[in-house]
Amino acid sequence: MRTVFFILALAVVLPAIPIGVWREFVLDAAQFAFITTALALSWNIMAATGQLSLAHGAFFGLGAYAAALAVNAAVPTPLALLFGAGVAAISSLLLGIATFRLHGIYFAIATLAFSEVMRTLVNKAQFVGATFGYPVPAAFGGAGGILTAYYLSVALLVLATLVSLALQRSRLHYAFAATRQGEAVARVLGVPAVRMKLIALLISSSLAGLAGGVYGMKTLFLLPPDAFGVHRAIEALVIPIFGGLYTTAGPLAGGLILVSLENVLRLWVGEGYLVGYGVVLVVAILFMPRGITGVIARARRRRKEAPGAED
Amino acid sequence: MLRIERATKKFGGLIAVDAVDLELRPGEILAVIGPNGAGKSTLLNLLSGLYRPDSGAIRLGDLEITRLSPEARCHLGLGRAFQIVQPFPEMTVRENLLVGALYGKPSTPRPEAERRVDEVLALTGLAPRADQAAAELTLVEDKRLELARALATNPRILLLDEVMAGLRPAEGAAAVDLVKRIRDSGVSVLFIEHVMPVVRRLADRVIVMDYGKVIAEGGYADVAADPKVREAYLGKTA
Repeated sequence: MRTVFFILALAVVLPAIPIGVWREFVLDAAQFAFITTALALSWNIMAATGQLSLAHGAFFGLGAYAAALAVNAAVPTPLALLFGAGVAAISSLLLGIATFRLHGIYFAIATLAFSEVMRTLVNKAQFVGATFGYPVPAAFGGAGGILTAYYLSVALLVLATLVSLALQRSRLHYAFAATRQGEAVARVLGVPAVRMKLIALLISSSLAGLAGGVYGMKTLFLLPPDAFGVHRAIEALVIPIFGGLYTTAGPLAGGLILVSLENVLRLWVGEGYLVGYGVVLVVAILFMPRGITGVIARARRRRKEAPGAED
Repeated sequence: MLRIERATKKFGGLIAVDAVDLELRPGEILAVIGPNGAGKSTLLNLLSGLYRPDSGAIRLGDLEITRLSPEARCHLGLGRAFQIVQPFPEMTVRENLLVGALYGKPSTPRPEAERRVDEVLALTGLAPRADQAAAELTLVEDKRLELARALATNPRILLLDEVMAGLRPAEGAAAVDLVKRIRDSGVSVLFIEHVMPVVRRLADRVIVMDYGKVIAEGGYADVAADPKVREAYLGKTA
């Protein structure tokens, strides 16, 4: 909990930290890190009900394109972002109705198929530029320069974090966890499991769509393979696994660490940096099966069980 | 109050439950016994809504519930403990019960659910284990958790599937007392059991199933003396 607020506070004050020539680069990289982390937090909300989604790249892409369309039609930025989130949510509802009888790996494959269909459709859609790409105006017409874009992504991250925290403190937390850990038993105990999965899906896809919208206004240009790429769906699930599934601090810390690491490797190693990234992931999953938060929880427990130890 | 009318459930060519009629009366403890494969657990799954019957009907009071979902039946007051204990492993004992207490009846306020959990923890003797991870319980405690979680939903009717199996006699006796206390608090109980001393001490009435059919019904002594029942358990003697 303290970690969560520390990270968010750091994000807020980052532009004021005097890091000289690095400032612009760091703020730029941080925005991508925040957007990707928000996407990971949204994925994690859905995973809490036991549904493994590979459609988050599609929700992200739909949100990005829908918000871009709206902004290009002179809709104000906040409304355009809401529109993007709404389009993502409606698409997820259609996906959910079609696939919620499916479980585990079958559900995952259905969501992957959905993702590919969406990418292909947008690839052919002339009104958003098809394969040539689609230009997006900056948020709020570019007023306020880099700080506007920066704080928009901070706001997105804060929102995703607060939604995740609120869910964890609400009664829904128990219904989600019960649905994930034993759906039949949960239902016999009165948990409307299908409705719970739909609620998680709606919240999750809206946030993913919102993240996409912010992303478009940051990059100012959308391409189907980038906005809809499977790599995005993978990133959305790797981050919570690395950080700690079904927690808020886990995806939050995990996202910032992994995306920063990716940037650092890209700078230092250059070509082939993804090999280093992959090695880090493999080692992390081998030695921290419960992610960063799992390691921290274990250390805390050990300290509690051994009073008098150095503390 | 809970009635099954000519319910049949087939799995492929196997008729697991064959035109069974059965009624659980208010305030009663009813035992369903029978050899392995007699269709007892299938019957319970029909009652709790995990299976739908191929034909026949299930009624709760005046309400037909044949097509209702498990969660809707739970909301109407049908609680169920499973034979194979399936606690939510990543939750503590208290959280396991809280799921039932929060969702057993729609929109139960949190404080009321917490109170219910404390009551059930005390009643079932799980209070000292409340904050332990469910994955760390012993088998006896697992069985009690299974029962406690069903109780947390505040049921009018409790369906128990072999909750005494694997318990030692002393533990079994404690469980028998517990079920009696639950009944005395106004809950009707239908239970499946293999341990005959438990059936004798607990059941007001016994129903015997074999090959998906009800073959005998009555008090424990009558049923135990019934030649058809002896045949079902021991095979035909020459």
